[in-house]
Amino acid sequence: MTTTTTAPTTTSTGSIPTTRRSRRSPIAPYVFVAPAVVLFVAFLLVPMLYSVYLSFRGLRLMPGGAFGKREEVFIGFGNYVSALSDRDFLAGFGRLAIYGAIAVPLTLGLALLFALLLDLGATKAKRFSRTAIFIPYAVPGVVATLMWGFMYLPLTSPFSYITEQLGWGTIPFLENPEIFGSVANIAIWGGVGFNMIIIYTSLRGIPSELFDAARIDGANEWQIAWRIKVPLVTPALVLTGLFALIGTLQVYGEPTTLRPMTSAISQTWVPLMTIYRDAFVRDDLPRAAAGSVFLAVCTVALSVILLRLTQKRAFGES
Amino acid sequence: MRWRVMTAAGALVAVGALLVGCSGGDSSGSDDSTAGGPVTLDYWAWGTAQDPMVDAWNKAHPDIQVKHTDAGGGTDSSAKLLTATRAGNAPDVSVVEYQTLPAMIVGDVAADITDYVDDDLKSKFTDSTWGLTTFNDAIYGIPQDVGPMAFVYNQKRLDELGVPVPTTWAEFKTAAQAVHTADPSAYLATFNTSEFGFFAGMAQQAGAKWWSVDGDKWTVGIDDEASQQVADYWQDLIDNDLIKVEDLLTPQWNQEVNAGQVLSWPSALWAPGVIYGVAESMAGQWAMAPLPQWTPGDSKVAYQGGSAVVVTTSSKHPKEAAEFAAWINSTDEGAGIQLSTGQYPASTLGQTKAETSDPPLLMPQQTDFWKLASTIAGNTIPNISWGPNVNVAQSAFQDAMAKAVQDGTPLRDALTATQKVVVDDMKTTGFDVSE
Repeated sequence: MTTTTTAPTTTSTGSIPTTRRSRRSPIAPYVFVAPAVVLFVAFLLVPMLYSVYLSFRGLRLMPGGAFGKREEVFIGFGNYVSALSDRDFLAGFGRLAIYGAIAVPLTLGLALLFALLLDLGATKAKRFSRTAIFIPYAVPGVVATLMWGFMYLPLTSPFSYITEQLGWGTIPFLENPEIFGSVANIAIWGGVGFNMIIIYTSLRGIPSELFDAARIDGANEWQIAWRIKVPLVTPALVLTGLFALIGTLQVYGEPTTLRPMTSAISQTWVPLMTIYRDAFVRDDLPRAAAGSVFLAVCTVALSVILLRLTQKRAFGES
Repeated sequence: MRWRVMTAAGALVAVGALLVGCSGGDSSGSDDSTAGGPVTLDYWAWGTAQDPMVDAWNKAHPDIQVKHTDAGGGTDSSAKLLTATRAGNAPDVSVVEYQTLPAMIVGDVAADITDYVDDDLKSKFTDSTWGLTTFNDAIYGIPQDVGPMAFVYNQKRLDELGVPVPTTWAEFKTAAQAVHTADPSAYLATFNTSEFGFFAGMAQQAGAKWWSVDGDKWTVGIDDEASQQVADYWQDLIDNDLIKVEDLLTPQWNQEVNAGQVLSWPSALWAPGVIYGVAESMAGQWAMAPLPQWTPGDSKVAYQGGSAVVVTTSSKHPKEAAEFAAWINSTDEGAGIQLSTGQYPASTLGQTKAETSDPPLLMPQQTDFWKLASTIAGNTIPNISWGPNVNVAQSAFQDAMAKAVQDGTPLRDALTATQKVVVDDMKTTGFDVSE
């Protein structure tokens, strides 16, 4: 509601407004945003800052004989040096790279493929397929991992049962190096549905005149998919790729839940497991804080690199 | 205009009230008792013996009620105790394994209860048992059960295969060979890379001292000669495919036990209760014998596991907590419940009572079980000392051992790696460690 008249009510700002705007700057937006901001500050910002603070502290022994008590003191970059020179922690990143190289392309590739197939006019049973592909995402992570775990264990695996009947022995799902594929499989199984929905929605937003024009020009469905659809959904692909990358860096649930079932997964298989071990098994919360700060910085750095690289492709139009 | 502001303000107030209301639920450890009114204590413990003991106490003591929570096994619950103490919502009383007790003291979790232990209570346990919970002349816990190591085996299958029960580790190897040759799908035992307590017990039986303290100076001997001898022994068995490398008590392992493919579990006196929990149908087929020895004719064994009840530093009612701990661990009723669920009591009263009790449910046919148990308990190595960072050692050991088995590198190297991590950690924390 705007007004350009008169003096008696505008007391706060003495100057005459040069543009049309309301005489009182609206506070409603701030009020609506306030709860979100409060929650963000309380549950995200403050803990993050506390983590950074904690990463510069350490638990050291206070004098008291052979069995003194430990107290928290400031130790500068000690935790960072210790975390970054921990071979297990760094090896975890290496394993993440292998896991990511399997999981991310397959998840996105399959999601794209299914989205394209669902978009084709000729596909039957679209609604059923959409739901069926999406349902794995609805299964809670721990449940999914346990279920797959039993399908991997030699004694309870249906796949191993078949190969055993055929005389080929059991499939070594839970040994090194097959374990990477096994863990990645759980993530792919759960992630394809979600990513497919994003890409499919993006596909649905493409005006169909483009396809009609292409068909008139003689393009077949394969060419339409490859040369028109895929380039036009690149922003969605970049988005899902970014999510997949962040998700890969933070993988924790699947290896931890599978760990009791196999000796191929150590306590420090991925960086987050090392951080958990430092925090709660080794009782060294500050060192865990340093590890998580490092992991967060890596995640942000990689995301920025990814976005920069794809900026032109994805958002170049605007 | 005006109403928009008022609606906005009203919404803000509503959200604020919601937030305040939601933050109300706070779970403090114990109720405060203003004059009169029962005191409620929080008790963390695992195992089947706990609920009956708590029920018995609650019935007998209406003015001090105890709430029992199962916070997970030894490793899990001690990790939780450390974080809960920092968060300020630790329980009043908790069960802590002997090996973790020093870490609990250093982490300021276990309170000094020397003042609450009167002469009467002191007389209920032997001096060497008190040694398990006494450090620097201060008592930090009341011993609940002890786990002298013993050999629990599938008697029926071994008899079928004609394999004699081994009395030395050399005989154990021969027996393992015989079992695997007679039945290629069966193994005499499994080697578990995460059983830190078992390996430590075997090393101690061989004469190793993993931690020792002289005044203020610590010495760490995780990779000393005796421990490496143990590592080489198991290495030999693994390399010759005489025992299976597998984690204990997984669904896979449980199935193999039930199918007669894992024929023994060298562990401790509490093992029958655990095996009964996963293989009830095998009652009557298993038996217990003394643990094999390194030297023929010897009879010394170490402890594996066993725990004490500590009063936490966060407790607002330490006196009542200590009373509860003393009652469940040293009275006749408590001991009876311990025995019926397969725990071997730490109290002398309990151990005497044991000799006239029924054998565990897994081996009703072994009527001399408790007599044998008391002989074994009498042969335990005295004064085993644990260090202030057993949790670090355990996690380093598990990782190093699993890695060694995965990569095929010697178990000896895993011990050396563990030693390094433990020494470094102690030095970083500020302990005086001699090389």
